[in-house]
Amino acid sequence: MDVKTLTKMTKWMETTDLQEITWRSGDDKIGLKFNNNPEHSAAIASSMEPVLSPSIGIFRFARPGKTNHLKEGSSVKNGAELGVVEVGKDFKSVTAPSNGLLKIISIEDGKPVEYGQPLFFIEPK
Amino acid sequence: MFKKVLIANRGEIAVRVIRTLRELDVKSVAVYSEADRSSLHVRLADEAVCIGPAMARESYLSIPAIISAALITGADAIHPGYGFLSENADFSAACRDNGITFIGPSPKSIQQLGHKAEARKMAVKAGIPVTPGTKDCVYKDAAAQAAKIGFPIMIKAAAGGGGKGIRIVREASQLANEMNMAQSESKAAFGNGDVYFEKYIELPRHIEVQFARDSHGHVIAFPERDCSIQRRHQKLVEESPSPAVNKKLRESLEEAAVKLAEAANYVGVGTVEFLLTQSGEFYFMEVNTRLQVEHPVTEFITGFDLVREQLLAASGEKLSYTAGHTVPYRGHAIEHRINAEDFTRNFAPSVGRIEEWIVPGGPGVRIDTHVYAGYNLPVYYDSMLAKLIVWDQTREMAVARAKRALEDFKVTGVKTTVDAHKLIVESEAFKAGKTDTGFMERLLAPAEPVAAK
Repeated sequence: MDVKTLTKMTKWMETTDLQEITWRSGDDKIGLKFNNNPEHSAAIASSMEPVLSPSIGIFRFARPGKTNHLKEGSSVKNGAELGVVEVGKDFKSVTAPSNGLLKIISIEDGKPVEYGQPLFFIEPK
Repeated sequence: MFKKVLIANRGEIAVRVIRTLRELDVKSVAVYSEADRSSLHVRLADEAVCIGPAMARESYLSIPAIISAALITGADAIHPGYGFLSENADFSAACRDNGITFIGPSPKSIQQLGHKAEARKMAVKAGIPVTPGTKDCVYKDAAAQAAKIGFPIMIKAAAGGGGKGIRIVREASQLANEMNMAQSESKAAFGNGDVYFEKYIELPRHIEVQFARDSHGHVIAFPERDCSIQRRHQKLVEESPSPAVNKKLRESLEEAAVKLAEAANYVGVGTVEFLLTQSGEFYFMEVNTRLQVEHPVTEFITGFDLVREQLLAASGEKLSYTAGHTVPYRGHAIEHRINAEDFTRNFAPSVGRIEEWIVPGGPGVRIDTHVYAGYNLPVYYDSMLAKLIVWDQTREMAVARAKRALEDFKVTGVKTTVDAHKLIVESEAFKAGKTDTGFMERLLAPAEPVAAK
């Protein structure tokens, strides 16, 4: 069987509701199966936007000597500093990616965080 | 011995280190970049932490991120593997400053021996023959210094390694240009643009001696490895012992390594690299202050676990063997580096998902790898998929075993260099042990017409 025939058969299969066919002739066997991979279609819809840790390190709601009163439900502005990740002598800023409501705080002060770990969830306005 | 060791590396070497840690009942911590989430070392370690994005500069090369990971997980030591931060004196110092043991030599040893020009000076002092070249880094009067050595010369990066930052200059007219390129290449790769000159020896063998030394002064030099089969200064096949080294030469090489380890008051494992000329003289080239990719060939013929020796030395204990400077060996071992490259297309990198991954086994075969069927090869790091190491009683038998093992190696989804290795083991020159650093070029060159001679 050549590619032309295979293409023809595939085209024909598309006009039917068959998912899979097998054709046998002596020792020859050909199977055609539609690829309906559901792996990527199972997206979970959410309007919330995660704020990810920019670094591995220790999370702080504020830089040393400062305070920051964040509460779930408070509104945040795009670019506002929500906290810092202390890595060595460095502090990496965690900022709000958009204007919105701070829905979830998923981190505590002084806890270690990994790179890419979700720290907050914001509902954009 | 340590309680928990963080491995500041990825790929097969991270897996390799985890295995020894497990045997010693030491907990392991894997660190990984976002691109390595599904890599084998992450699965095998007792704990794993994501330290940064795919780009190595912000993950595997980030000293603050790795130190932070060690502190957070409570690791008392860090194994740097090879590459990345393994020969970085600042990293070794950062570990020390944070109360973490660096499993490798002291910052001072790394500076002395890892800096090629410094290492050369030390070798000269220890009475080890060195290739003619500049004693110090070349900053000015390059033309005069090169002329004094005589062309062809090599420009080498002082902080270099892994074949990077080496340029061959055959005539004075090319010097200025090549010098510029070497300096900027070195600056980009190692953060240091210092270079020095060395006489270029045509078609040498690359011979190296593995050594280990503990803080009690015990030192072992292992039988030499022959790493002559290279392509663009990257090793492809390594074997031990070398078919070109006899007992007397072996003793001289081992003695040189012992002298150097002692002169540097070195603690840990390291490797002294030599060039062996066709007529049998050897010259000191450089020292690698870390575990090497090809360490398994030494393990196979001597029965040592070099990672264990590293851990023993770093934790202040004695090496497992303290009865002398040399160790007995048995048989012959060969390592083939299997890379994700298409050797029919000039070794172009190949990426994708590993669909089928069937590796050889059986007597005298060892595979060190981080790859499995279904693994998506990240594009950010080196292309090595696995190391195939074979052992047998004689070199001839080992070559036959390598051939058999390569035939058993089945990979689909990405192109590999398995076929290139088949070509190597089937070549008459390789079978006869007649290899030098020009071997691959000759093997891959289209056959020269007889009349062209």
